Amino acid sequence: MKKIIFVLVYSIATLSIFSYGKTAENEQLSIALSGQYANKMTDASKKLEELDTAVKKTLLFNEADGSSKARDDIWRLSSDIKNSVSSLPLDPSFSTSWMNYLGRLGNYAKEADRAADNVEYHRVMELASKNLRSMADEWQVATAGMVSGNLSIDGWKKRLDVADSGHDWTGMGTSVKQYAESDFPLTASESDSMKKKDLKNMADPAVTREEAIAEFKKLFPHLSNETIGVEMSQPGSPYPFYHIRFAEAESVGYIDITEKGGHVLSFLTERPFGKESLPFEDLKKKAETFLKDAGYKDLVYEEARENNTAWHMVYVRVEPEYGAKVFSDVIHLKIAKDNAGIVGLDASEYIRKEKTARQPITKKDWKTFFHSGVEIVKEEYAYVENDRLEQRLAHYLTVTINENGQIGTYAVIVDTETSEVIKTEKLQ
Amino acid sequence: MIQLLLDHFLFVNNINDFGQTIEKGGMKVKKLVIRMVTIILLLGCAYATSPVQIKAFSSQNVARGAFGDDVIELQSRLQYIGYYTGTIDGTFGYGTYWALRNFQEKYGLPVDGIAGLKTRKKLVDASQYDEKFVKDNLNKGNKFTYYGSKPLASQVGKGAGKTENVQLPAKYSDQDLKLMANAVYGEARGEPYEGQVAVAAVILNRIEHPDFPDTVGGVIFQPLAFTAVADGQIWLTPNERAKEAVLDAINGWDPSENAIYYFNPITATSKWIWSRPQIKKIGLHIFAN
Repeated sequence: MKKIIFVLVYSIATLSIFSYGKTAENEQLSIALSGQYANKMTDASKKLEELDTAVKKTLLFNEADGSSKARDDIWRLSSDIKNSVSSLPLDPSFSTSWMNYLGRLGNYAKEADRAADNVEYHRVMELASKNLRSMADEWQVATAGMVSGNLSIDGWKKRLDVADSGHDWTGMGTSVKQYAESDFPLTASESDSMKKKDLKNMADPAVTREEAIAEFKKLFPHLSNETIGVEMSQPGSPYPFYHIRFAEAESVGYIDITEKGGHVLSFLTERPFGKESLPFEDLKKKAETFLKDAGYKDLVYEEARENNTAWHMVYVRVEPEYGAKVFSDVIHLKIAKDNAGIVGLDASEYIRKEKTARQPITKKDWKTFFHSGVEIVKEEYAYVENDRLEQRLAHYLTVTINENGQIGTYAVIVDTETSEVIKTEKLQ
Repeated sequence: MIQLLLDHFLFVNNINDFGQTIEKGGMKVKKLVIRMVTIILLLGCAYATSPVQIKAFSSQNVARGAFGDDVIELQSRLQYIGYYTGTIDGTFGYGTYWALRNFQEKYGLPVDGIAGLKTRKKLVDASQYDEKFVKDNLNKGNKFTYYGSKPLASQVGKGAGKTENVQLPAKYSDQDLKLMANAVYGEARGEPYEGQVAVAAVILNRIEHPDFPDTVGGVIFQPLAFTAVADGQIWLTPNERAKEAVLDAINGWDPSENAIYYFNPITATSKWIWSRPQIKKIGLHIFAN
């Protein structure tokens, strides 16, 4: 009996010490985290004030040159606040709207150099300044508990739960979203996601479920005997599509086909791969035959990357007027190394087909345009989107330069009409 | 050959065991020597007249975009004779391409930047390849070079560890792949392959979207964004399937059809997430905008 009591007492004592240690450790971690969050919140508050001041400073000048420094500050501060906001546990609708607003504000200030219309800049920034002020006030109220140390992490998280919230996060999120939409034009990324949604405006006639399956069978006859499910996309999808799942022998995968026009959005299959590796030339030939048979006839090979089981290949559309590559209209193919089977196809960008317009080509003197050590090794035409979201005809130049004994290779994209450098990219 | 050895064995035994007929033994030695010389000559002729074979590389052409052992050997050999100064990583990019073209030009070969049979043979003749040295250092993730003009031991330094054995588009790093594979494995390891690619695509869609941070780490570690981060499952070791799923997403596949959210309807507690416009369901996840 004594032994049992001893063992029990010993166990309870050990457990108690262990639990105490763990609780103390958790408390320390919690305090440390609270400190970090409070620091980020105060930092964001302080920078919001600075941001508001920077916005107001830019309103002092008529010429973009005069406000250059303050506009740099706007871009830097909005980016800093965005970083702080992204690392805080906040209501998701508020945090996303907030980050969007800050991104738009920073980009607008950064791009004001090129804006000819200073009246418009003043209109936008006056509005932004007013909205920033009210957001800064709301932010201080919302974060007061955490910053003053009156709220624990758990307490803060409870406040985020709408049901128990003492603060109207949703209302705050909605206001910021309204500010963003009223104050600033679309950003490039938003334009991208709008473009994806543009698929709903396709004029092609709708295809039936059976026609979609028939398209799948036509493209992948060896995989389409066992279709295990065909579903329509959910009502929230910007464009309706058929989602077809299949399992054939050891291959399992899916294909998404648009309802309008029956175009393939994407196809991917998974299967065990063999260790054999067919030559790249054979795989490329197979890929090109497949694309031709599938009706993709205006494509050229752009690049490929080999990996353990497959090659990922990229084909790009060529428009007929200038023979220019349209880099927004690409098709991705995944082709198995063991038997040259097509195991993936993504044509979602290709089917959107960018509109391209004729454009003058002015004469360029590349010798004066580039530094003396730069050598142009390839020159092509391409349609590329500039930062004003326009598709522009451009010289797509592959150039090299000696970089401390190594050859650096770059793609330099120059507008054919204005000579603006749309993009410079280091090629690996 | 077996017969010859047998004869030789019998001959030795004859001497040792019986000590007889030395003359007979001498004849046998002569025959043996003649037969061996004949065989060596025949083998020599066969070797000399056989088609050219390179005791290196596989039988395939190696060109830009390629990846793997052939590229490791190509880079090593080019570096051995000073044409390639970049990192030996098994990825045939522009650095390897220009180095190979320079080699072809210097050795009077057709200059196309492709390591075909003639180029590979010339390269094998002109260089040496210590496969063990190169592979050992790659496996250990050491920082090393392979110049023939310096002692190999002096060309090795400690590196940051073994890198992922994959080739990624230029804007992504090994670290991005690792982190995304961790997230995919932590969030969706029980899901179909399509569902895993879709989770990776959601991470990438967020990076492009103005409402979210613009780096892989920023998106994944955004507080309250991913359950796997909150419960620590993100630190489980991902399997090859999760890595492959990330690789497909990075190479342009998006089975989520541009979603920026997903949730498990059985376990989701947030009312807000149900307000998002839903796109499609894959496995247990609903993907939404």
